Amino acid sequence: MKILRKQDTRIPRRPLLWLAAALLFTLPPMFGTLPSWVPLLFLIALAAKFWMEPKGYHLRSLVWKLVLVALILSLLFFSYGSLRGIEPGVSLIVMLTSVKILEAHTAREFHIMIMVAWVLCLCGFFLSQNLAIALCLLIAFTLLLVGLIQFHRGSSSAFWPPVRTAGKLLAQATPLIVLLFLFFPRFSTGFRFQIASQRGSSTGFSDHLSPGSVSSLTNSSAVAFRAEFPDGKIPTLGAMYWRGVVMWHGEGLEWNAPKNPAALPKTSQSPLRSEGVRQWITIEPHDARWMFALDWPANWPSGARLAPGNYLWSDQPIHKPRRYEVTSYPEIPNNQPHLGEREPLLQLPAAISPAARALVQSWTTDKAAPRDIVEKALEFFRTQGFLYSPSPGEYGKNGLDEFLFHRRLGFCEHYAASFATLMRLAGVPARVVTGYLGGEYNEIGHFFLVRQADAHAWCEIWFPDLGWQRIDPTAVVAPDRVNLGFNSFLERRAAAGQLDNTQGVLARKLAHWPIFARARLGWQTLSYAWDTRVLSFDGEEQESFFASVGIAGHGPIFFIVGTLVIAIALLALYAGWTYLRTRPRGNRVKIMYEIFCRKAARLGAPRNPSEGPLDFSRRATRLLANDSERIRSIAEAYIALRYAPASDPMTLEQFAKEVSAFVRTS
Amino acid sequence: MDEKAAQDLLHQRSFIGRPMHSTLLANERDPEIRFDTKKQIAAFTSQICEVIVGKTEAVKLAVACLLARGHLLIEDIPGVGKTTLSQALARSLGLVFQRIQFTSDLLPADILGNSIFDRNEQRFVFHQGPLFSQVVLIDEVNRATAKTQSALLEAMEEHQISADGVTYELPRPFFVIATQNPQYQVGTFPLPESQLDRFLMRIELGVPDRASERAMLLGMDRREMLKELNPVFGAETLLEIQAKVRTIHTSSALLDYLQDLLDASRQRHRSGLSPRAGLALLHASQAWAMMNGRDMVLPEDIQAVGTAVMAHRLGHDIEQSGQSGRTLTAALLNSVPVP
Repeated sequence: MKILRKQDTRIPRRPLLWLAAALLFTLPPMFGTLPSWVPLLFLIALAAKFWMEPKGYHLRSLVWKLVLVALILSLLFFSYGSLRGIEPGVSLIVMLTSVKILEAHTAREFHIMIMVAWVLCLCGFFLSQNLAIALCLLIAFTLLLVGLIQFHRGSSSAFWPPVRTAGKLLAQATPLIVLLFLFFPRFSTGFRFQIASQRGSSTGFSDHLSPGSVSSLTNSSAVAFRAEFPDGKIPTLGAMYWRGVVMWHGEGLEWNAPKNPAALPKTSQSPLRSEGVRQWITIEPHDARWMFALDWPANWPSGARLAPGNYLWSDQPIHKPRRYEVTSYPEIPNNQPHLGEREPLLQLPAAISPAARALVQSWTTDKAAPRDIVEKALEFFRTQGFLYSPSPGEYGKNGLDEFLFHRRLGFCEHYAASFATLMRLAGVPARVVTGYLGGEYNEIGHFFLVRQADAHAWCEIWFPDLGWQRIDPTAVVAPDRVNLGFNSFLERRAAAGQLDNTQGVLARKLAHWPIFARARLGWQTLSYAWDTRVLSFDGEEQESFFASVGIAGHGPIFFIVGTLVIAIALLALYAGWTYLRTRPRGNRVKIMYEIFCRKAARLGAPRNPSEGPLDFSRRATRLLANDSERIRSIAEAYIALRYAPASDPMTLEQFAKEVSAFVRTS
Repeated sequence: MDEKAAQDLLHQRSFIGRPMHSTLLANERDPEIRFDTKKQIAAFTSQICEVIVGKTEAVKLAVACLLARGHLLIEDIPGVGKTTLSQALARSLGLVFQRIQFTSDLLPADILGNSIFDRNEQRFVFHQGPLFSQVVLIDEVNRATAKTQSALLEAMEEHQISADGVTYELPRPFFVIATQNPQYQVGTFPLPESQLDRFLMRIELGVPDRASERAMLLGMDRREMLKELNPVFGAETLLEIQAKVRTIHTSSALLDYLQDLLDASRQRHRSGLSPRAGLALLHASQAWAMMNGRDMVLPEDIQAVGTAVMAHRLGHDIEQSGQSGRTLTAALLNSVPVP
């Protein structure tokens, strides 16, 4: 017993290495979502373990453990303010795992560490569900399996066999995974994790436009949404204005959208003359309710509405990737502002400087038509030395004047906001629209990828004859931005030496290598497929899948039981296959002998597979004294048939008879 | 016939290379001896068992090794009767017997022979060393250096000796019995793998059980008993039996089992059993089957000789402490199913 204890006090190094590798792969989802000290402490604990293990150290003292746990709890409490919720919970598990790593030193605790690491894999999915993270966690899962197998094989066995075994196990599990994925009931309501709303601020798009709010997104390569054109009608890049939110209320350079817009009544739609562009859009979760569509959406998907200003507005905040279909038309169906809309369309900020008023008055002389005013304003932007820059710097309180008359350096939001304000000052109804412009076409997956960096703001002006028309003042200042897309625009600027962001340029140059570019497109396609086919497979999708298979309309119990039955059937098939593969093949003698052995086993004398016929018959005659004579003669006949120089068919017949007699009678 | 007479006999011959059939013992010609092979072998075995008390299994394995034309390695601590067993084997066969005590300063020429200048004939004459014999007992084979050990290789495998550019054939039957001390003892040079592979079997004697030891303590002096041993059969009969061993039937089912064993050993260990080991296993199990009076080999025969044949061939591939060639072999035999 003592020796056993002693053997149990060391974890072999090889399984520990596998475990460590697996734990490293559980880290990526933690970075960026948890406070950075959590994964860092985890890494430090792992490194410390490798320093401690060969020396035989481990965290022994109960006092120290308690102190560490108390420290962790208080740290978490201070950084989150509470221990409730997904992220504090995951952080707590990660930190406790670190302590367990320091403490573990026996075989049993190694098993516990493996189990906890599997829980960490699960927690990773609470934090993020994109394809890269899923692959990371799959690798972690596999490595844990390998570690466990290696652990049970002993310390010094070879490198590949456990990997192969783990791979085989996973391959065998694949049908079950697919089965459960497709058929296990999904509950769309109730069991939903409310992930903290801080993500909205990180993605940046908001219902509030202020100087710098869009330009802060230009460095973000995060995906906003992906769009497919199922009919193959793809508008040009310069016309690809993805409408997000319409802002009615302006304060100089700051504009706001209504917090909870009303729905446009369906009856207000007049029939459309031109052909629409159908789009399938898969939106990334942003925890708010705006949805995107090309200018101008005319119908709306279920669970959403068309808000005044003709933009889509979801009924529920979007917490997970959502795919919807929408059709846009190059004109707005009902192009007259409602009576209630008129007044806010001309609402002005409280403080307008005399300089701005003077500027506008210079355009509105002799009762100029709105079109002329617009032309003059655009002329003003074109000729007065305005420059376009993704980093125009801060604008102070009097931003409008500073922008218009002094610095004249701005990003799209500056131009859109100031232009709309100036138009309202001139008595022309105007509003600001924020959304995205352009996108990156993926020729492998045939879809457009729109990133946060493509965020854009523009204006819409109401003309009495034409109704709402899109006017993009940025296009006047930097026409390339609109026509080439933001990335190409930046590249061209970088080539001209106008950009000092060298790191970004290097990355962009790297991105221009053909292999790299292909790989990137392929990866984007894969992750698009992941988002649209796997992540979005929720209760509704499952229902429609069931409907397409023809088994719709059953309760969850039906599917749970059905899944179990199919799983058991699969396992039985597999077992049958292995049995068929390993069953006694070849000659009749052997089959008869197997039958004899099975019968003997039932009678209480099982044959050891490595036991020869003579040894077995001796043992069996002792165990089954009643049949000793018969067993002996069967064994003799078997030996003669199978091992003797020449056997005659008579003996075979006799052997078969004796075996069947033995099976029947005894 | 004692040792010296046989030695003289050997040296009287004009050349040594041919088997010496007719020159041998009186009782060889006696028709009384030529009874059934199984009985002959049983008599042979029991005679040796009289000297080596309580080690029937080891003795039977040694006899099987002899019948399978293999060489025998006996490994154990000093004083358990290794030398006595080998002497008993040699004397019961009535073959020309030589004993070579290996030491660390022994040189190949000491066992193979020397060319010495003959003044009368004005040329070099080869003087045969003690290896030119029918039964060679090499005592403490791992006390000699690798150089001397490898001098044995050709003799054991090819039954011939090359010296000074001339190849001399060894008498038949040629049977090497080597004893060695366990590796951990001081002053040993472990046999290289190639050398080990040339021994058909390695057996261990172990201390006798209590009753056997009592019988030995009460009984005659072993040296005296050895002197009184009479040859049970001679070279001609032995060669006949050896030839008969190779004709014992091996069915395809049995060869399947044998190959399964070889495959399993190769899959599990970095260096599994060699094809030579496969042949050794086959021949040893044939001999074992014959000793048990069967004209066919059964899986049980392979299992009976398996440890003795395979253990020393797998022993150098020990991956984990606490495992020996014997445990590896036992694991192999226990896990490979009999087809």
